[in-house]
Amino acid sequence: MFLDPRALIMFGANALLLYLAQLVNSATAAWPLYFFILGPMIVLPALYLRHQSYFICTLLTGLWVDASLHVPLGFFTVLFLSVGAAIFSVRIRFRAEHNYHPILLAHGINLFLLIVLTVATGHEYFTVASFWIQVLATVLCSHLALLFIAPWFYNLERQLFEICHLETEPEDLPLL
Amino acid sequence: MAKLRLDKYKPVVALGVFLVAWWLVPIGVKAFLKASFSEFQAPAWVASSYLDDLEGFWARRMHSKRELELAGQEIARAKSYYQFNAQRAETLQAEIRRLEAILDLPSRREYRYEVARVIRRDLSAWWQYLVLRKGRDYDIPEGAAVVFSGGVVGRVVEVNAFTSRVELITSPDFRMAAQFEGDPRPVVYQGVPQSGFGDPVGRVSDAPQDLVANSNNPLKLVSTHLGGTFPPGLAIGEVVWLEPGSTGIFQAGAVALDADLLSLHEVAVLIPLNPIEIESDVP
Repeated sequence: MFLDPRALIMFGANALLLYLAQLVNSATAAWPLYFFILGPMIVLPALYLRHQSYFICTLLTGLWVDASLHVPLGFFTVLFLSVGAAIFSVRIRFRAEHNYHPILLAHGINLFLLIVLTVATGHEYFTVASFWIQVLATVLCSHLALLFIAPWFYNLERQLFEICHLETEPEDLPLL
Repeated sequence: MAKLRLDKYKPVVALGVFLVAWWLVPIGVKAFLKASFSEFQAPAWVASSYLDDLEGFWARRMHSKRELELAGQEIARAKSYYQFNAQRAETLQAEIRRLEAILDLPSRREYRYEVARVIRRDLSAWWQYLVLRKGRDYDIPEGAAVVFSGGVVGRVVEVNAFTSRVELITSPDFRMAAQFEGDPRPVVYQGVPQSGFGDPVGRVSDAPQDLVANSNNPLKLVSTHLGGTFPPGLAIGEVVWLEPGSTGIFQAGAVALDADLLSLHEVAVLIPLNPIEIESDVP
């Protein structure tokens, strides 16, 4: 099959996660809370799918995020594909059928994306204390929220696979 | 000799091919992609905003008749007050026009006010934007000024079919010409990174040396016609302290902005009735 149907479900779940995070951010705009939750989006596609499906799912997710956030088109697409390629190359080492490894990966990727975004877009304000206060508040909020959101998100994706009568286990390992 | 596994390099090779292809893709194609994905997402935000309106409608339906009567009385009082003010404004406008005609002053820019609902607020350390529920369908132009009852909100930076994106006055990328109330000399207002704690702030620079501000007598910063985008006299914020700037010739200071900027529900977009035509305006 050219495209694994699970890739479309994962892309839909990613779009839903982004939309929900932005709804919360919009509602809490008057408070110093900002939830940056992009880390979980690329973990399961890289661990579950064959290369072709993973690539299409990650590419669409990246373009979707780029269009929604205020970054140049391609910023998160390239980052997602780079991080995805790194995970895909060593995916044999991770247990994708349980949540433990995907949650750890989600935290690591989220932090990496936050750092790259801060360096790329905020380098002019490195000497401004208020910038760092908000960045640190965002990191704290996002990673506390990720502790609850990441397991829910992965369970939701697996449940959607079940509802759609699709394979709930990752593709045959080691590769391809 | 062990067989070399080339398949494990597939993700890296695919990433390299993608990067080269992305670099070669023309800017027009990228802009089309971005616009397509943005337009695809817009209906979800518009729908959630209409759901909010519906929720508000049903919440108001829950009020008792007595509460509605009291609210009606308040609205009637406010209406008569604003009607009186409108009449007074008309008289003053006529007086201004008469004096302008006598002095042969150049005509001022006139605006149409398009009230729009805020459907999304995206305020973070990296960007400060609002999304409005009106776009090309209401002829919102790019670069238009956005205001609310407390003064300047920002500037439209992107217009889609049914939504438009506004760069907030707090954004570090936002910059405009301004002046202090009662002082015609221009100064520069610029947004600064926000800490998220406390009220929003901005920064004013290039203020003349003779101006003095303190907490008992704060200086009111307002818009000026010099930038071309905003009509003069719109409130930006208050300055309670000015200190020598980096050059030592001018002063600079923090601008306290309206706290309501962070929780706006409705704003007005100022659409110029006679947009500046660069070709015809340049001699």
